[in-house]
Amino acid sequence: MSLFNGFNISASGLTANRLRMDVVSSNIANANTTRGELVNGEWMPYRRKSVELTQSGVSPFEQKLQSTMNKGNGNVSGVTVAKIEEDPTPFQLSYDPTHPDADENGYVRLPNVDPIKEMVDLMSATRSYEANVTALNASKSMFMKALEIGK
Amino acid sequence: MKIFSQSFQQLEQALSTATLKQKVIASNIANVDTPNYKSKTVDFQSTLNQALDAQNISSYKTSSKHLPFSNEVSSFNPEIKVNNETKYKNNGNNVDMDYEMAQLAKNQLWYNAVTDRVNGQLNSLRTVINEGR
Repeated sequence: MSLFNGFNISASGLTANRLRMDVVSSNIANANTTRGELVNGEWMPYRRKSVELTQSGVSPFEQKLQSTMNKGNGNVSGVTVAKIEEDPTPFQLSYDPTHPDADENGYVRLPNVDPIKEMVDLMSATRSYEANVTALNASKSMFMKALEIGK
Repeated sequence: MKIFSQSFQQLEQALSTATLKQKVIASNIANVDTPNYKSKTVDFQSTLNQALDAQNISSYKTSSKHLPFSNEVSSFNPEIKVNNETKYKNNGNNVDMDYEMAQLAKNQLWYNAVTDRVNGQLNSLRTVINEGR
């Protein structure tokens, strides 16, 4: 039904932004994790992750075409998470010879997480979440009003 | 005999347009951080013109002051337009959050107003049915 679509669109925005917040939480929690994943028997630090959003119901080809032509499409649809990407920027190096994961020169590789960047991302996700809540409440009050017709 | 007047149909169309508008605004707000998303609007102007030019037979006017034929209600299809002209952010997105929020509030009030009018129509009908009692 057409009115409920507004609900679904806002709900997709809520889900996507909640995932963004989850990913930010993960980044902040692992800001000092030196053993993120095991690569060829060697521990690698945690890599910063970020969320890539896309309009739901739009194929990757269509999206590429649109961005090349600098044009949007007429689809009215919600948002969905395309993928969670890893940040390829190099790890930070810190001199700490007593650290168990220090190399032969005494340097430890720390995750490429920047707390300031994470906080900014968190704020952005929170605000988007709030905006979607507002839109959802608006849809809801409109629907409640429609139920009053004929009373 | 027609029980429901023409304005009743018009109000119904106004309600569905408001619903569509709400959907489009919700989509814009949900996609505020989506790269390359372009904001959409419901084009009301063309809808209005369509409704005004509803008559298939147009009267031949020799003066601009002549009155047109009766205004029949046509079924209008509001159009969704994509705003491709602007770029608001670096990622190609052009959703203006403040504008969308204002539109959201406006649309909500408009919907409430139209719903009130529908209720008003139904109440007058009820008065007639109850013989004014």
